Amino acid sequence: MADVRVEGLRRQFGSLMAVKDVSFVFPEGAVTCLLGPSGCGKTTLLRMIAGLERPSAGTIRFGDRDVTTLAARRRDVAMVFQYPVMYRTLNVVENIELPLANDRTLTVAERRRRVDEAIEILELGDARRLHIDRLNLAARQKVAVGRAIARRAAVTLFDEPTTNVEVHAKLALIRAFKELRRHVRQTIVYVTHDQTEAMTLADQIALMREGEIVQCAPPRELYDQPNSEFGGWFLGNPGMNFLTVQPAEGSGFAVDGVPFPLAAPLLELEDVRFGIRPEYIRIAATPLPDSVPARVLRRAVAIGGQHLVTLAVGGSRIKAKVPPAEGPSRGAPEVGSNVFVVCPIEHAILFHRGKRLAELPRRLGSSAAAGAPS
Amino acid sequence: MSGIRFEGISKSYRDAVALDRIDLDIEPAGLTVVCGPPGCGKSVLMRILIGLETPSAGRILFDGEDIAHMPAAERSIGYVPQSFALFPHMSVFDNIAYPMALQAVPRTEIAARVDQAAGILHIRPLLTKRPSQLSGGEKQRAAIARGILKNADIFILDDPLVGLDFKLRESLMEDLKDMRAELGATFLYITSDPLEALTMAEHLVVMDRGRLVEVGPVDTVYYDPSWLRTVELVGFPRCNVLPARLDATNAMCTTAIGRLSITLENGAASADAMVAIRPEHITSPASGAAPLGIGKVTLVENLGSESVVYVQLHETTLVTTVPARALASLDLGDPFPLAMRPGGPIVFDRASGRRIGRVTSVPEESRDG
Repeated sequence: MADVRVEGLRRQFGSLMAVKDVSFVFPEGAVTCLLGPSGCGKTTLLRMIAGLERPSAGTIRFGDRDVTTLAARRRDVAMVFQYPVMYRTLNVVENIELPLANDRTLTVAERRRRVDEAIEILELGDARRLHIDRLNLAARQKVAVGRAIARRAAVTLFDEPTTNVEVHAKLALIRAFKELRRHVRQTIVYVTHDQTEAMTLADQIALMREGEIVQCAPPRELYDQPNSEFGGWFLGNPGMNFLTVQPAEGSGFAVDGVPFPLAAPLLELEDVRFGIRPEYIRIAATPLPDSVPARVLRRAVAIGGQHLVTLAVGGSRIKAKVPPAEGPSRGAPEVGSNVFVVCPIEHAILFHRGKRLAELPRRLGSSAAAGAPS
Repeated sequence: MSGIRFEGISKSYRDAVALDRIDLDIEPAGLTVVCGPPGCGKSVLMRILIGLETPSAGRILFDGEDIAHMPAAERSIGYVPQSFALFPHMSVFDNIAYPMALQAVPRTEIAARVDQAAGILHIRPLLTKRPSQLSGGEKQRAAIARGILKNADIFILDDPLVGLDFKLRESLMEDLKDMRAELGATFLYITSDPLEALTMAEHLVVMDRGRLVEVGPVDTVYYDPSWLRTVELVGFPRCNVLPARLDATNAMCTTAIGRLSITLENGAASADAMVAIRPEHITSPASGAAPLGIGKVTLVENLGSESVVYVQLHETTLVTTVPARALASLDLGDPFPLAMRPGGPIVFDRASGRRIGRVTSVPEESRDG
């Protein structure tokens, strides 16, 4: 096991820069998910680490070993692809064992132990003597995961392994992966476009966009503290709401002409946006402190019986999540009704030209604002 | 506004019954989602409506006129299929304008309508480009614009977002709803994704194995379903469904997670029942709801604002949704106290799947938490 250090790593396809001079460390023993929209360069980055794609520039090290120019088979990497790559004439045990058979340093007992461990954790016991042809796609993919982990390679790579598996089997695969991880620590790089999968599996997520890693953080932190509007938008279902901020008369700032009474040190900046996640927005029938008038455009039942409410605030649209409740309206306002919304500043993030502003404005009159510079 | 009525529509291929006596009225000027698992017959029903298939029996009334055997070209129905091929040698504008050009719509009107659709779908800057210069999502937007700009009052969208990026789906759902409101047209929207169905629908048609399961306004279908299959198919995460046995008084039932008090609406045909407990009916005992016991976490899916927690309780796995803010970090195998909000879970007859009552409470004696 080793960490993976890439430096100035670049991959160009003609005029397209798929990976733009990425410098990054994948820590030893951690699961790092590369997450991003299609075309962001995550798969190209993974394939360069695997040795399946040649970098246009930059270096790749596993620990202190420079592998940049090494062939894939000399790097000591294990890989799981979108479709399971299997030896079709062999059974489950033989498939998991085969890569271990080439390792002369392993005793027979240790080989058996690793195979049995993988089979037990992945709940493949009933299938151990079955030929691969008899298994469905999801079970084969489990075997592929078991084989990759049993190898104890320096680095284990996953390229969207659940993409082609149906929803139920996908959950079983994710659970098996997590279970396996509790028993065996490996340096894992896991590529996915599925944010739930990344948030569920990763120790840390490297969020990619247009060939670059824009932020790397543990899942909760990445969700709560995005450093860019892109991160706020990309994570979450639906993503973060953004409202354009204008300087207001006197103190504070305004969103679509609606004043927010805050001590705001950002009035000189242009193109500032106020970001707030749907679950933090509160809706009330009557005005509350700091509330702004809004109109209900739509409501729909959403995840876990919540309501997703679409609101017009000034000239903007925002979405709010309302928890499930009893009663005829189920806790959500009627479509067409006029309401008041509160966007709590303590859960808001301000962005300037798409990048997070370090300083949050403080609420006027609150103790925090007393010592604030004017 | 054009109304559609299906009367006794059946379709068989040799021995296989694809549709079995479908009687259905589509609300005019609304967005009706037809949902159900793959192979349930929803696409066949739409293909019959468009005229790509002929029904084996039944009538389709379109403003009162039977169109079941009218040629497809004479039906005034727009269609956005799943995957949409654009003409590679034409600009995006010409691609979108193509069906109207065939209908001999005047050029100035074509230009105005393409502009309107391109505005709603955020593709105005792309109109002069060729399809090869567009991303997958941009192509799909152009394809939707083309399907939607036919002179018609009724549009069928057959799983138009399948295979697209999650974020793209999120924004296209919003755009399609705007589009429908602006056109004031009738949209029939096909999907097998339960969350997409709930997000899009004003009216919901639930299909399974060639039959209609349930039809109604989306809130009624979600909160007040008459059939077990509806609860299984509509909702995300998936509903917890447990076998139950009614006792002699019909006031209690026994399930794998304990005994539950129930009220029956019309009496029971048999003692064999099923209890459907939505993820939101399961909560923590701290909320004041009736405790069910302490289970063991088998998986936590992190959705960002909420987590889907799978908990094993007495050999049964229950699914619940918890706001992420309220959830400390959980590991597999951790203890997880569970409670139930009575009033939500519904009791169904096992053989017929018809609703027979509701769960009212969890009696003290079956609480072990």
